[in-house]
Amino acid sequence: MNQVPLFDHDFRAMGGPCRLRFACADDALAARVIAAAETEIRRLEQKYSRYLPDSLVSTINRAAGADAVPIDDETAGLLGFADTLWQQSDGLFDLTAGILRRAWDFKSGRLPAQAAIDCLLPLIGWQRVQWDASSIRLPAAGMEIDFGGCVKEYACDSVAAVLARHGIERGLVDLAGDMAVAGAGSAAQPWPVGIRHPRQSGAAIATFSLAAGSLASSGDYERFMVVDGRRYGHILNPLTGWPVQGLAAVSIAAPQCLVAGGSATIAMLKPEGEALAWLAELGLPWFAVDSAMECHGEFGER
Amino acid sequence: MAAEKRPALLALTSSALLLPAYQGVRADAAPEFIELGMRYSKYEEDNTQGSKTFGGSSQRYDIDAAQFHLLAPVADNWAVAVDVQWEDMSGASPWFVGASLDGSPKVIMSGASIEDTRTEVSVTTRYYYDRGNAGFNYVRSDEDDYDSNAIALDGSFNSADGMTTYSGAISTSRDDIEPTQGSVPTNTLKNDKDISSAWIGVSRIISKNAIVRFGLAYTYREGFLTDPYKKNDKRPDERNEWAVSAGYRQYFLWPDGALQADYRYFDDDWGVASHTLNLAWHQNLWRDTQLIPFMRYYSQGEADFFANIADTDKRYYADDYRLSSFGAVTVGLRVRQQIGNWAISAVGERYETDESWGVYSGAESPALVNYWRYSFGLDYVFR
Repeated sequence: MNQVPLFDHDFRAMGGPCRLRFACADDALAARVIAAAETEIRRLEQKYSRYLPDSLVSTINRAAGADAVPIDDETAGLLGFADTLWQQSDGLFDLTAGILRRAWDFKSGRLPAQAAIDCLLPLIGWQRVQWDASSIRLPAAGMEIDFGGCVKEYACDSVAAVLARHGIERGLVDLAGDMAVAGAGSAAQPWPVGIRHPRQSGAAIATFSLAAGSLASSGDYERFMVVDGRRYGHILNPLTGWPVQGLAAVSIAAPQCLVAGGSATIAMLKPEGEALAWLAELGLPWFAVDSAMECHGEFGER
Repeated sequence: MAAEKRPALLALTSSALLLPAYQGVRADAAPEFIELGMRYSKYEEDNTQGSKTFGGSSQRYDIDAAQFHLLAPVADNWAVAVDVQWEDMSGASPWFVGASLDGSPKVIMSGASIEDTRTEVSVTTRYYYDRGNAGFNYVRSDEDDYDSNAIALDGSFNSADGMTTYSGAISTSRDDIEPTQGSVPTNTLKNDKDISSAWIGVSRIISKNAIVRFGLAYTYREGFLTDPYKKNDKRPDERNEWAVSAGYRQYFLWPDGALQADYRYFDDDWGVASHTLNLAWHQNLWRDTQLIPFMRYYSQGEADFFANIADTDKRYYADDYRLSSFGAVTVGLRVRQQIGNWAISAVGERYETDESWGVYSGAESPALVNYWRYSFGLDYVFR
């Protein structure tokens, strides 16, 4: 049916494996698409990575307690989106909560001392951050923001837009499991995608056909530790500083990967029962696995 | 996908969509690829009705035009556009209007067919910045009897929320007139005129699917403004023109189309005033086809010194139908088809005019013209 050659390009960015797949009849154009796509991901990584000392996020964090840092429209847009996530999650999604990482060392296998968590909690609180369309100021020294919950998803959409601008009719951007379709040609030939099993690395718990839009997944499997038979995942409640006892994994399909990813993150932050009710109410196709490995949701074939 | 949007989803989606990645091809992004276009157009005036002429030729103007367009990005934020147009004009134009035995005005055509060619070259450089773009344009037009050199500067600026765009432009041109001698006596052997104009506009996105715009324009003409070929034509050597315009465009999810409505009011110190109303419907069909039926209504009031039978003892006089009172209706259809990197477009339109269709009263000129215009174009993007 479609004889246009399929390009498949793997690379690493944003701390994970990235994969671009797209149909393109012209080798030279394909090379330009790959270069433009990688450039876009690197641009976002260099701007928003908290690991790079020259990034805008590092600059904002270094200026905590001191000066406001000027920001551009794109950053203001991401802050606005993060603010919406904070409101919609009743404060469970908090751009300033990443600092809890300092107390939680999942590799150690030891729970943190409550005193360590108590030291960090005063540095958390999105509602205290002073920001507008042109600048941001973190009010206390030691406060940090971390776009970890949004930037990869936003990059997915942005790279899909790069593919579309180059005239790609059928493409799939996959940034470590967050995916976005480029071009309307995927409607005729959807992309088969697997949803990771939260307890068996490398195995799919469900498969899904992605014809348009995007798919984002979130799970408790990225970092965790088991202490005294109890599982502690890396998804932390910013109000208590302790891991939430929620779903094991959530996948959501949406026109924008940013919306899918943000919604999945909110679902992961809520207690299991509340999360399933919130997903049912959301209005997007979703798939969730609870802590007993029961599957819920509207899509996915086992 | 769920049919209705729930509150949480609506909040998330509407805040996400403010980000640049969802703005499609940003309005103020420099072009990324070279674009080439070619267009052929034919303009054909109907012959003047026999009952409205004094014998002689009743054949009027035909214009064949070929256009070439090149748009090329030259740096991240710079683009250059080159447009070249060749026109081949032939036919006769009204020379003057005289009274027939029954007193009704009849037109006398210029007789021998005029042949002329015009070449126009336009070069624009445009700079794109975060919140808008600015352009500089130079146009040179050459004809046997008319040369024009014009420069223009324009700029646009978007508000911080991206909802409002302010734009402005200024331009000036120097035109040299040297009428071809031979077929009719001319009103000058060599002369010139200067034209300066300024324009300001504002457009605002008023909802997800609707946009409004307003504009204000002023043009000042000075020099030899008389038509060199018309027997009974003597016009002031200055003209001040003002125009206000407003436009509205709304997209409808069903049936995936957009309505465009534009209105313009024009007034000048020669006593000419006009209303123009444009309506168009942009219908998207399947994925790559656009069908655009359009309609234009125009009504003009005559100049103070217009008369069918010109009184040449007066200081100024003209029997030119273009300065008379009339109403005109244009109906047309534009089709555009995208095929990969190619785009094919075609336009056909019919223009008809009548004194009684206008809202202004005045004497009907026997030289009013009806015409057909067709155009066919091919564009290619080097992706």
